[in-house]
Amino acid sequence: MSQKQNRTLQSLRVLTGIVLITWLVLPLVPLAIWSFAKGWYFPDILPKRWTLNAWDYTFSDTAGVLDSLWITIWISLAATGLSVLIGVPAGRALGMYKFKGKELVELMILAPVIVPGIAVVLGIHSIFIFLGLNNTVTGVVLVHLIPTLPYMTLVMSGIFANYDPAYEDQARSLGASPLKTFWYITLPAIMPGIIVGGLFAFLVSWSQYILTLLIGGGRIITLPLLLFNFATSGRNDITGAIGMIYILPGIIILLLTAKHLSGRSGAVGGFGQI
Amino acid sequence: MSDRQKIVLLLLPAMLVIVVLFFGGLIIGLMRSFNYMPIIGLTEPNFKAYISIFSDIEFYHSFLLTFHIAFTSTLISCVLAIGAALLLRRSFVGKTIVNFLFQLNLTIPHLVGAIGMLYLFSQSGSFARLAAEFHLISRPSDFPALIFDPYAIGIIMQYVWKEVPFIGVIVLANMQSIGEDYESVARSLGASKWQSFWHVLMPMIFPGVLSASIIVFAFTFGAYEIPALLGANYPAALPVLAYQKYTNVDLAARPEAMAMAVIIAILCAILIWIYVRYCRKRIRGQA
Amino acid sequence: MTHVSIQNLSKIYKGSKTPALDELSLEIPSGELTALLGPSGCGKTTTMKMIAGLLDPTSGDISFDGRSVLNDKPENRGAVMVFQNYLLFPYMSVSENIGFGLKMRKTDANDIKKRVGEMLEMVKLPDLGDRKPSELSGGQQQRVALARALIIQPEVLLLDEPLSNLDAHLRLEMRDLIRALQQEMKITTIFVTHDQEEAVVLADKIALILDGKMKQYDTPQAFYKTPIDEATARFFGCHNFIKGKALDGVFDCAIGKLKIPKLIKEGQGTLTFRPENIKITKDKTKENSFGAKVSNIIYLGTQTRLKIKLAEMEFDAILNPNETAGLAIGDDVFIHLPSEVLWKI
Repeated sequence: MSQKQNRTLQSLRVLTGIVLITWLVLPLVPLAIWSFAKGWYFPDILPKRWTLNAWDYTFSDTAGVLDSLWITIWISLAATGLSVLIGVPAGRALGMYKFKGKELVELMILAPVIVPGIAVVLGIHSIFIFLGLNNTVTGVVLVHLIPTLPYMTLVMSGIFANYDPAYEDQARSLGASPLKTFWYITLPAIMPGIIVGGLFAFLVSWSQYILTLLIGGGRIITLPLLLFNFATSGRNDITGAIGMIYILPGIIILLLTAKHLSGRSGAVGGFGQI
Repeated sequence: MSDRQKIVLLLLPAMLVIVVLFFGGLIIGLMRSFNYMPIIGLTEPNFKAYISIFSDIEFYHSFLLTFHIAFTSTLISCVLAIGAALLLRRSFVGKTIVNFLFQLNLTIPHLVGAIGMLYLFSQSGSFARLAAEFHLISRPSDFPALIFDPYAIGIIMQYVWKEVPFIGVIVLANMQSIGEDYESVARSLGASKWQSFWHVLMPMIFPGVLSASIIVFAFTFGAYEIPALLGANYPAALPVLAYQKYTNVDLAARPEAMAMAVIIAILCAILIWIYVRYCRKRIRGQA
Repeated sequence: MTHVSIQNLSKIYKGSKTPALDELSLEIPSGELTALLGPSGCGKTTTMKMIAGLLDPTSGDISFDGRSVLNDKPENRGAVMVFQNYLLFPYMSVSENIGFGLKMRKTDANDIKKRVGEMLEMVKLPDLGDRKPSELSGGQQQRVALARALIIQPEVLLLDEPLSNLDAHLRLEMRDLIRALQQEMKITTIFVTHDQEEAVVLADKIALILDGKMKQYDTPQAFYKTPIDEATARFFGCHNFIKGKALDGVFDCAIGKLKIPKLIKEGQGTLTFRPENIKITKDKTKENSFGAKVSNIIYLGTQTRLKIKLAEMEFDAILNPNETAGLAIGDDVFIHLPSEVLWKI
């Protein structure tokens, strides 16, 4: 290949890179600007006046944004915790054992990853009305398990597939009880998987919309619901501020786990749902 | 304890949740779509809901629109994602930034991207203002309707924004684990750059691309909040229509909503079948 | 039939200071089988990829029959590379793999089918055309990779460690096959290896590369008889060196005066001899015979390795077990160094 061709190719790369970078950040820019804007009307490219009003409002007790933030955090934490508790054993079964019907079980766990919430949530709503779980935080947490649990299970199944149970046998033969074996041997070995899977499961729950909308029945207002309401009511400044808060956990988690976010870790599959 | 008992115990909680919630939801939805619900006294199943939606032109419009959104978004995202992955696997200035933004983008919920698109491309949005600045338009209404438009351009742009990084990250990892030697072999055997991409790299990343595409297609077909925010009033995307029917004051419309949910579920079942048939088999064939 | 010429070829990878390959020059006569020999990381595979056009050299030139090929794209170069791990395309059948190069040239499908059949015969895998690569053994995969390269009748064939992934018995078989095919098709062939044995059994000529530089380019025999320096001799398993001075057919050193062949240049230098050329003798009056002590014996079945101490130096000797019967550590022996096996570097 000639030098000249090489250079053309390289500059083409750089150009495409710049276009990509711009395109990736672009939608976040007006959101950020709006949160500091005071009356930003057509055809101003930038706001004429800047203000912290939207942020003041957002953090005031009367706005309900903070209440919404806490309830969202609580729901996502609960859904994540349950997913870990239920998903780790299931991941162990799928990752370490071969058994009859395993493919069917895998398929059943995979299905909720692909089938969108709207297809199941209407039916669940009917059940939950019957059980009195609709319009409750418990109901919302339970319904969030539909996307988070399969995800956690698949991540843990990958972790356990690369885990050598001989370490457990070794610990047992050295005199550790099953419980101690789990605590000192198994748990440290799978901890990285639990943390990464858990953080991502948190994000999956954090981003749920239609499941919360229906099961919460307008009583449980999580952050995305509030964001949607403000966005459709034309309060762009407050929308901007809530939007900034809403993407914060994702950014923090990204900074914590950047290296696991390559497609190689298998953990990334769940991001189709965020 | 035998292995068998262990496996059953380990799987039991997860299977309980999935069977009761997920499959329970599906089955109840299916039953109600046939107006069958013994608990509330509906004991005679019928096809009323299906007849009703299939004889309503709105359903067809809605279905076609949703299919158009999902298909177009997935196709464009795939093509751009493969291109971006090809770019990212070589080193170039700004590679780290693009990589970081790709990952950042993965963590940002669709809804935020949708609001961003609204502020960028609506008729009083940033691009309209830029156009006014350069005297291309004088009033907001001169700016082409890219949001709330019948072709769902805004929705598709949002999905492309969000899914290019998603597919891109998967394809990139795929490419990195394959390495460049297979393409080198192909070049050495006389394939041009394009041929070695098309005949060698593409078939090898195909399972990854297909499985990512299936996830994207299903998501974009079934997502509610993005078309609810960026879509036109008529036709509404299928999930939006289903939600409207479900929350209609007229309770008689609920089975119709359920029927639409069933149709979405059937479509996804087909996608899962394709996934199992092609992705898994091919992945195994390589092992 | 293509004469390959490499001139001052260097490669410095981005971000690296030391060159992966430093000013390599090499003439490879058409139709010959040449080995690039060197330890791993010495720049062999880099050289091969540059010949194939898969890497751009930092400086230097590569020409086929006197014409520089640096601006030729890999697909037009006529040099085809077979990778060490074969890299058969996993989703294609054996036949599709072999026919790949012809398909890329838009050859007629019937033609491809016919020639693939011939190639399968040639590499002795006539019935395996429909298999997937994952269903083949390592040796079979290697044959398919070879057939896939040869079907396009390249001017230059490049083989990366062609025998290294094979079991001992398969190696001999593959060596014979490669030699036979190469002789039959008269393709200028270059292969790289880190294994001197592999180089010796397969190559017409060997280019030894150490630390990114070419040390010696010669016939296999020459590397044993007339190595160019200590490092080269060591690479070929010879550790017997004595410093001294050559004058008038005599080498004067710590163990005494040794008669040496007339051809050897006069002056200061290091005398070397292969361990297998040391003889044990009872006749101490023979020229170049010296009294020594056995300091170690390792019996290896078909040969015995001795360490022999002489004038405070230790030498390796490899002998026939019959000759060493009854020897024990600490025994005094006489060793004989025939003057024709001595070489000064």
